[in-house]
Amino acid sequence: MSGFVGAQGLGVLFRFDRQRRVVTPAMARLRRAGPTVWGLRGVDFAVGPGEGVALVGPSGSGKTSLLRLIAGVLLPDEGRIEVSGRVGSLLAVQAGLMPRLTGRENAMLLGVLAGMSPPQTRASLEAIKDRSGLGDAFERAVSSYSMGMRARLGFAVADCHGADVLLLDEVHEALDHEFRETVAERAQAIRGRGGIVVAAGHDHPVLEGMCERAIHLENGAVAEDGPFERVLEGYLRSVG
Amino acid sequence: MVGALAISDLRTRYGRGRLRSIKWLLDPYAAAGVYLILIAFVLHREGVAPGLSIACAIVPFQLVMATTINALTSVQLRGSIIANMAFQRALIPLASTVTESIAFAASLTLLALMMAVYGVAPTIAVAWLPLVLLVTFAFALAVAFPAALVGLWYPELNTFIVSGVRTAFFLAAGLVALGQTHGGAHTLLSLNPLTAIFESYRDVLLYGQSPAAWELLYPVAFALLLLGVFTRLYKREESQFAKVIE
Repeated sequence: MSGFVGAQGLGVLFRFDRQRRVVTPAMARLRRAGPTVWGLRGVDFAVGPGEGVALVGPSGSGKTSLLRLIAGVLLPDEGRIEVSGRVGSLLAVQAGLMPRLTGRENAMLLGVLAGMSPPQTRASLEAIKDRSGLGDAFERAVSSYSMGMRARLGFAVADCHGADVLLLDEVHEALDHEFRETVAERAQAIRGRGGIVVAAGHDHPVLEGMCERAIHLENGAVAEDGPFERVLEGYLRSVG
Repeated sequence: MVGALAISDLRTRYGRGRLRSIKWLLDPYAAAGVYLILIAFVLHREGVAPGLSIACAIVPFQLVMATTINALTSVQLRGSIIANMAFQRALIPLASTVTESIAFAASLTLLALMMAVYGVAPTIAVAWLPLVLLVTFAFALAVAFPAALVGLWYPELNTFIVSGVRTAFFLAAGLVALGQTHGGAHTLLSLNPLTAIFESYRDVLLYGQSPAAWELLYPVAFALLLLGVFTRLYKREESQFAKVIE
């Protein structure tokens, strides 16, 4: 097991209509076009096996867009990205969960969508239930879950499918302290096996527990890339 | 993967347990009842086995309508998954069609019921039914792709789109069979691919004859045209879904 993430000249373009709603290229042709904004542009970096990288920066700096590119949720409008290894992602507190389904049904659906066969997914459900620590709530509709419970389930699903590249976007900030430790332990275990962890957020002590390297994003570009403490210091200095 | 999406869709939209099959039956049975009253008692256009004739239109239309309604919200419904992980987004309209086909299968009982009520015995022409069902499925699938895109682009138009599809039913030989129409109306109704689908059900179940070639080929050609245009557009758009759904 080993992961790799490499980006060259990466760019993501957001198109808006006159009412400042984000539109797709086809929608932009149908509606009266508004401004375009590069969410990311000219981003270069490489993350090798065993690395943990924190993405820091103010809101709107491009952290989520970058994680979505790595996850394959978005395709770049410019440049290229290379990702090797199975990706496990937790990019929103909703964590890909459908509120009307139970925890078990969501875990089943997400497992199959992640590329596992139905029998494989079914076999992993008890492990997901245990790892999430949800107990009987696993059989209840996700709409009854707190944000922390959703994040627990989402993380257990993402982690259970043997991720080589684990992506976390602020979700760990919804977790209670006990489960944060679990996440940090799992992140270290993934890195220990040659996997990669890329995490974004504003809870810097949590990020530091998982990552020794950081990338500071500013206005969709890499402002600094290096050791976590140095990059964080630069970022905090830049925001005063 | 389609199965997993459809199963989750069924649970999300129709709930769980045996009661959900009653939900699937309510709409086609109620619609058949209302239209039968309209045709037989208000307009006095009895025709041949009017209840069965109407059911031959309502049942396949139910699949087209339900698939359209499902597909209009299909991308947003899975917004949290789309924003979180990569998977084949092209499966979303397919899952909408499969979900509603399960409900559609339940509504086929209406056809059997009407055949029994009017004493219409099945003939060898029933052997065509699987092909007729397949054409209906292909047509519904073809409608699902543009519906999914329009539902994403213009969610505020969903009600209007549903009304438009319902209008298409009335502009087809739905309430009266094509053979009961004449002149310009006959020609106009024949242009609607839904007419071809409805008539193929009538041929197989009501008249006991093989469906005419145009009744199968015309809706298939229409479906292929829609699929040719909209699957390409959908493919281009799907990588942008995560930008738009929030």
